[in-house]
Amino acid sequence: MSTEARLRRVLAMVPWIVAQQGPTIEEVCARFGCTEAELVKDLEGALFFCGVHPFTPGDMVEVDISEGRVWIRLADYFSRPLRLTPAEGLGLLGAARAASSRGTESDDALSRAVAKLSAAIGVDPDEVLDVELGDAEPGVLGILEESAAAHEVVEIDYYSYGRDSWQTRPIEAHHVFNSNGAWYAWAWCRKVDDWRLFRADRVRTATPLGEHFEMRKMPSPPKPWSGPAVGEEVVLELAPGAAWAIEEYPVVSVRAGKQGWRKVTLRIAGRPWLERLLLRLGSDARMVKGDANTAVDAASRILARYRTPEAAH
Amino acid sequence: MDRLERLLNLLAALIDTERPLGREEIHQRVPGYPERDDSFRRQFERDKETLRQMGVPIAVEPLIAHSPEQGTGYRVHQRDYALADPGLTPEELTALHLAASSVRFLGDDAKGAISKLGGVPVGEVDGANPAGVEVPGVEHLEACFAAIAGNFTLTFGYKGERRTVVPARLSFRSGRWYLSTWDVNRDAERLFRLDRMDDPEVGDAAPDAPRARVAGREPLAAWELGDDEPVPARLRVDPDQADLAVRAVGGRGKIDKEPDGGVVIELAVRNPEGFRNFVLGFLDHAEVLEPESLRSDMVQWLERMASA
Repeated sequence: MSTEARLRRVLAMVPWIVAQQGPTIEEVCARFGCTEAELVKDLEGALFFCGVHPFTPGDMVEVDISEGRVWIRLADYFSRPLRLTPAEGLGLLGAARAASSRGTESDDALSRAVAKLSAAIGVDPDEVLDVELGDAEPGVLGILEESAAAHEVVEIDYYSYGRDSWQTRPIEAHHVFNSNGAWYAWAWCRKVDDWRLFRADRVRTATPLGEHFEMRKMPSPPKPWSGPAVGEEVVLELAPGAAWAIEEYPVVSVRAGKQGWRKVTLRIAGRPWLERLLLRLGSDARMVKGDANTAVDAASRILARYRTPEAAH
Repeated sequence: MDRLERLLNLLAALIDTERPLGREEIHQRVPGYPERDDSFRRQFERDKETLRQMGVPIAVEPLIAHSPEQGTGYRVHQRDYALADPGLTPEELTALHLAASSVRFLGDDAKGAISKLGGVPVGEVDGANPAGVEVPGVEHLEACFAAIAGNFTLTFGYKGERRTVVPARLSFRSGRWYLSTWDVNRDAERLFRLDRMDDPEVGDAAPDAPRARVAGREPLAAWELGDDEPVPARLRVDPDQADLAVRAVGGRGKIDKEPDGGVVIELAVRNPEGFRNFVLGFLDHAEVLEPESLRSDMVQWLERMASA
C-alpha cells in the first residue's frame, strides 16, 4: 500500500477515533477497511512519534492500543478530516444521484444525506449534476431484476435493433446492470441456446413464466458497445468528414487511404443495422465489400413512404 | 524512518503554526529530513507535492506581512483544511455508503469520501452489494467539477480554439459527459463534450450572473445540439416502434398518440442533420410530417442515395 494511501487513511480515522474515545480495534478496522496489523503499524509505528516543535510531552500525539481498544490524545491538528477533494465530492454526490434515481428503500435517508453533504461542500447537486441512467418500459426493469434474483425464467418481447424485428424469447436473466447510461440483462436465451445481452429499453413486455432455472456458469458480459462477436464483415471507405462513425461504431480495423479517406472493416449485426449506418453517412461512405445495393434499396423503401399520398397525415 | 511519520510531522507543523514557516525552519522543526540541504529540498518538494495532490491546501505567504521580498513560507489554514461536519446520522451515512457501493461512479473516489465522513458503519459488509451501475469517468471531469464547486472560470481547447467559460453543470447521457456553460467570449450559453476538450485550466473566480443564465435542462439529444433557431418539427412513428421512439425522446418532445397505436412526436429541432440521423434510425417505420423544409430535406437526401 502506498504511503499516500496510508496517510489518507490515518487522517480519516484519527478524528473518528478521537471522537469515539476508545473504540474497539475491530470496529476501527471494519470502518476504515484495514487489518489490525496495518492499524498498529500506522498508529503505533508512525503516528505515535508525531508532534510539533518544541516536542515536549504535551506536543506529542499519544496513541494507546490495549485490551482491544484504541485511544488517541493530543492530536488537535488532526481533529477534523481533510476536506473532500473535488473528485471525492463528485464521486459521492454522483453515486447518490444515480442511486436515488432508481428509487430504493433507503431513499429518505439518502436524500437527507445528500442535502447535508451538499451544504457542507457548498454545491447543489440538483443544479450542478445530471445523471441519466436510461429508460425502460415501466415495470420491465423491475421484473428483469426480480427474475434474475429469483432465478425465474422470463419471456420477453424484444426488439432486435440489428435485424429490425420483434421476437419473443424465454430467457434466464443472470445479471442486470447499467452501463454507459443504459440498462442491460445478460441472459441465457432459450431460443438460441446461447448467451445474449439484452437492452432493457428494447424490451416491450416481460412476463415471468413461473419456472425456475439453474444458474449456469456465466461468462462475463461483452462490452455493450463492442458489436457482435460473429457476423458478416463489411468494408467501407469513409470520407474525412465521417470520422465520427469510427468513434461511434465498433470497428474491426481501420486503414488510412487516399486524401484522408479511411478503409474501415465492420462486423454487422444484421442488414438493417448497416442500412441505418449507410443512410446516415450518405455520400461520405462507399461500400468496398458487402452488398453494394444496401443503401439504394433502403433509401428507395423509405422514399416510397413519402411518395404515397395515403401515408401523409 | 517511515515516510508516513515524516509526512504526518510536516502536516502537523504546517497546521499547528500561527504564521508561515520558511524552508529552513521546516528543516529544523520537522524530524525525518536528511541533514544536507539539497537532499532536504528534494524530499520536501516531493512531500509538498504529495500533500497537495491529496487536496491539502498548502498556502504560500510572505514570512513578514506585506514584505514578500523578505521571502515566503508555508502553512495550512485549519479553516481551509478541515471538512465542515455535515452532521450525518449513522443511517444517512449507511445510505450514502450503499449508494456508493451499488454505483461505481468514477472508480474509488466515493470510498475515500466515505472514509472521511466516518467510514463504513459497522454492520455493513463492504462489497455485499456489487456494483450494478457503472457510470464511467472521463478525463477532465474532475477539473470541470472543481471549477463548478469552487466558482471558477474554465479555459480549454475545443475544435482547435481556446474557449473560456463559466461552467454551470455536468450531465451524463447515453454514455457521454457534457458541460453546460456560459461562454464568456461569445456571451452565450454553450454545451461542450468532455471527451473533445483539451487541456482544461481552472481560472479565476467566475461572475455569478452568467451561470444563472444557463438553462434548466440540457439540450442533449442529437436534434437539439446546434446553434440554429429551434424549428418545431412533427414526426410520425408507426405502432411497432412507437414505444421505442417515445423512450428515445425521453420527455424532450410532445407526444400525440394516434388511434392505430402509432405516435406523432413534436420536437424542437436546432440541428437538422442530427434530426435526420434520428429519424433514419427508424428506417421505414417513421416519416417527417412537418415542416416542409425538413420533409423535403429528407426526401432529397434519400433521392440522392437511391440514385447513387
